[in-house]
Amino acid sequence: MKIQKLFQKTLVGIFFLFAVISLSTSALCIYTVDTHLSAEYESNSRGIAKTIADSSVDILLNRDLSALQSLIDQFIEIQGISYIYITSEHGEFLAHTFVPGIPTEIAQSDHSSRATVERNLPGMGDFVEVSSPILAGVAGAVHIGMDTGLIALKIQRAVGQQVYLISSIFIIGVFSAIWLVRLAAKPIDSVIAYAARLARERNKDSSDDTLLARDDEVGQLARLFLYFSMVMDFDKARGTPPGENT
Amino acid sequence: MRRMTRREVLGSGLGGFMAIPWLFRPNAWAEPDDLTDQRRKQEMNGETNPDARTEQTGVTDAEIVLGVSAAFSGPSRGLGIELYRGANAYFEHVNRAGGIQGRKVVLKTYDDGYQPNPAVTNTMTLVQQDQVFALFGYVGTPTVTRVLPMLKKFQGKNAYLFFPFTGAQPQREPPYGDFAFNLRASYRQETAGLVDNFVSIGNKRIAVFYQADAYGRSGWAGVRLAMSRYGLQIAGEATYRRGAKFSGSMRRQVEILKQSNPSAVICIGSYAACAAFLRDAVDLGLEVPIANLSFVGSENLLKLITEGRDDSRRYTNLLVNSQVVPSYEDTSIPAVKQYREMMDRYDPQPPSHVLKEDYTSFSYSFVSLEGFLNAKLMVEILRRLGDQPDRNKLEDAVFTISDFDIGIDERVSFGPDRRQGLQQVYYTVVESGRFVTLKSWEGRFAS
Repeated sequence: MKIQKLFQKTLVGIFFLFAVISLSTSALCIYTVDTHLSAEYESNSRGIAKTIADSSVDILLNRDLSALQSLIDQFIEIQGISYIYITSEHGEFLAHTFVPGIPTEIAQSDHSSRATVERNLPGMGDFVEVSSPILAGVAGAVHIGMDTGLIALKIQRAVGQQVYLISSIFIIGVFSAIWLVRLAAKPIDSVIAYAARLARERNKDSSDDTLLARDDEVGQLARLFLYFSMVMDFDKARGTPPGENT
Repeated sequence: MRRMTRREVLGSGLGGFMAIPWLFRPNAWAEPDDLTDQRRKQEMNGETNPDARTEQTGVTDAEIVLGVSAAFSGPSRGLGIELYRGANAYFEHVNRAGGIQGRKVVLKTYDDGYQPNPAVTNTMTLVQQDQVFALFGYVGTPTVTRVLPMLKKFQGKNAYLFFPFTGAQPQREPPYGDFAFNLRASYRQETAGLVDNFVSIGNKRIAVFYQADAYGRSGWAGVRLAMSRYGLQIAGEATYRRGAKFSGSMRRQVEILKQSNPSAVICIGSYAACAAFLRDAVDLGLEVPIANLSFVGSENLLKLITEGRDDSRRYTNLLVNSQVVPSYEDTSIPAVKQYREMMDRYDPQPPSHVLKEDYTSFSYSFVSLEGFLNAKLMVEILRRLGDQPDRNKLEDAVFTISDFDIGIDERVSFGPDRRQGLQQVYYTVVESGRFVTLKSWEGRFAS
């Protein structure tokens, strides 16, 4: 499909406009999803950690550790939770969900801290870890690691969908613009051809009824060309330079 | 009348739309036959509360129905199948001899694949829909620990769990200990025995390889407790995910344990994973005694590790497995002799309706011997209920079991504070391609 030269710059403009829209909305989307999801994940993790911590008191004081493991195994099924571990007040691991073993970074970390920790565990990924004390910390703490890779995946998916939508609109827009341009350019081409014919075949009957009958700008232009042609023929017959008789 | 909001209208419409398939399913409006029958019987007895009337549940003039949910599929299916076969050998014997007071013992069987959620669903079906007399022969800690709260919920129905194939503590302690009866020794006893013996021969750096779930944690806690009595700590630990197959690699776990330089390893897992660990440990040069608990399924483990190997001795030389029943090779034990006779005579088959994968049964195994002993004691309890078996009297019947000779070298007793029948732990090693009783730890493992 040949794009009219007149509209090539417009199409380039449209392309850049769409690129700016796409980039800016993607950036906004990344920021919004990341901020909201991170906040929501951290909040949920804290809630879950507190729930486990509250439920663990009775188990830790009265029951076997297998009951504690059974409890955390149920929570690990929740999407986004990557690991859970429970440490005693002395930092000993009482139950955990790590396979094939407790990562060195976690084994060597300070388990008394209750602050949110961002962890990068080799071979496992990036995590946000939250903690909740059991019995105000005197019986240990529950630690939950949320996979930030999942947030990245959700962002990727959201941005991907957005880019897909904008790209689709862009492609449809470009093809529509070309079609509209061609639709608009076709009568102009006819007028140009008509004017050229008038110039070339002045002494013949060059009137184009269809074109002259149009009541739009194209028709007016055609009639104007015909008028100028007739004026020029008339002046030529009188021997005066074109246009001086008016 | 209050006007419904737009959201409520949409919600009701969606709910109604989703209910259409349920409304048009077969018998949507009918009650299950057995439920209807049960209710009819209750109404005839003038009872309105279903929980209030539990006698006759699971019992007809011809049958006493016991409910089983166990692993009949997946990498641990050998445990469920062998336990079932052993129990069925004895039930078959009793049924052919006229049953209990003329009633045959029937097992209503479901597969849970050694997964907690199906085990919970199966239990609900067995108690509420099938209305079995008692639950029997469940397999696994992660499954049983999830089922226990349900038994507490059904305590009005007196739905007891008999002789689960797990040595974990939750069904031996409050708050759920009152709803289960155990025959086998606990994991605590098994791990304590292993630790005591390893320490006695100077192997004090004990590492643990365990399944990352309640079963693994139960064994891990047992090892930790036993070692703390000697002022020791677990030297190193590595885990694997439940459902791991023999074809999978355990090299990473072996490498982790090697870093702790252990002098012995105690494995708390099922046969496929433990066989894979043993294979990779020997291949990577971790040549220390490697112990397994009874739950492992010794014959299945041995089959995996030796099948198609010319140098299988290399893999089994340092292997030691604890057992909660005596060796099935020792025919001087009356129950073992009886077990072997009945396994030979009846050749019990796995339940075909739940069997999804091929399985080659063993003629004899520790697991099926345990199933056999479970069935033997269950029959004795049912006999003691008399000619009108009543679930309300089940617990009392169990408590009458005192100093009962089940046919092995240990007598069985139960009581309100004693919900585990046997206490003894046995140790076995591989000799000439089969498990035999370990005679001397010193002679076998001392370096």
